[in-house]
Amino acid sequence: MTVRYLRHPELRFTAVEGEGVVLHLRTRRYFTVSESGLAVLEALAAPRTLEELVPVVLDRYEVTPERAEQSVRDFLERCVTADLLAVERVG
Amino acid sequence: MLRAWIDRARLDPPIPVWIEVRLEEPPTLTDDPRPVFRQPGVVVRADPSGGGVHLTWETAPAVAEVHATQPKACVTLSPSAAGRLDECTDTFLVTVLIFLLRRTGWHHIHAATAVDPAGRGWLLAGDGQAGKSTTAALLATQGWRVGTDDTAFLTSLNERITAVAYRAPIALRPPGYRLLGRLGGTLLPRRRKLGYWPEELGGRFAARVVPDVILFTSVGIGPTTATPLGARESLAQLVRWSAWVMLEPDLAQQHLELLAALAHQAKSYRVTLGRDLFARPARLTELIA
Repeated sequence: MTVRYLRHPELRFTAVEGEGVVLHLRTRRYFTVSESGLAVLEALAAPRTLEELVPVVLDRYEVTPERAEQSVRDFLERCVTADLLAVERVG
Repeated sequence: MLRAWIDRARLDPPIPVWIEVRLEEPPTLTDDPRPVFRQPGVVVRADPSGGGVHLTWETAPAVAEVHATQPKACVTLSPSAAGRLDECTDTFLVTVLIFLLRRTGWHHIHAATAVDPAGRGWLLAGDGQAGKSTTAALLATQGWRVGTDDTAFLTSLNERITAVAYRAPIALRPPGYRLLGRLGGTLLPRRRKLGYWPEELGGRFAARVVPDVILFTSVGIGPTTATPLGARESLAQLVRWSAWVMLEPDLAQQHLELLAALAHQAKSYRVTLGRDLFARPARLTELIA
């Protein structure tokens, strides 16, 4: 089974001071995310798997693949908990 | 009377806005699935999928439907709402106007605007008890140009974020006009305030202000203090005082980017306003020097 992450259609975000600011228009909540988190959210313009998102961090930072995967995984889980992302299971 | 209200506001949006007004009992809204956003006296229903906006006045029967993308609105006023037109313009129709102007690229912020004698633009944001009006009046007595004490619209002009003032009298509660110590003003009986035009106080009107300084104000019991804020903290505050950013996904991104650009453009401070400012108004500019 493939797990893909989808951005909530009512998220709006922008960069400020090297971080990201995210508005969730449905819940009317305001979030700040790290620069790498913002890059992951930007990459989620279309649904993506964890494996497809890890290079977003690897391309920007000097970290091991294992560390990048753990970082992206943690970020995605926090986003799902906050209803910023949804999970789609395919196959 | 509606024409007088629009003329007095002195707004000049980049494209015309249209308000069609019908005088009849408005239809009762049933089963509207749009999420509700409330503010004092006005209920706003906005479609998350980009539909129009429906507004209801709670004081007397009146409704408005704002077109999904164009700056057009159809307003239906009952005879009893039309009989309270002053109140209706101050609360309900100004909210309709906010949604119309949003469709022209002008985004509302709950803030006062002013220009100091050195030509720097100031924006003071905060709630109804944050001292914006009293400070705006005080600054007018010092010869500053004042745009508004409460309602401004942010837009991008020549790559600078500009705050356009909705012109209305600076409305002071009794503590405010007592501190100001000025005679005159116009009684605003429904609001239990005195209204002053900047010109009455020795200032001038500033239709447009390019903010160089943003103050997020509150009123304290000690002396006036100012704490610098970074752009990220400033943006969080701007979102708070420009709350319609949370509505209408198709317009929210532009609105958010304007706020972010403003947070970068201006130096921001959290300011606690004290009574010492009335003895020494220059303290405000000294604190942010």
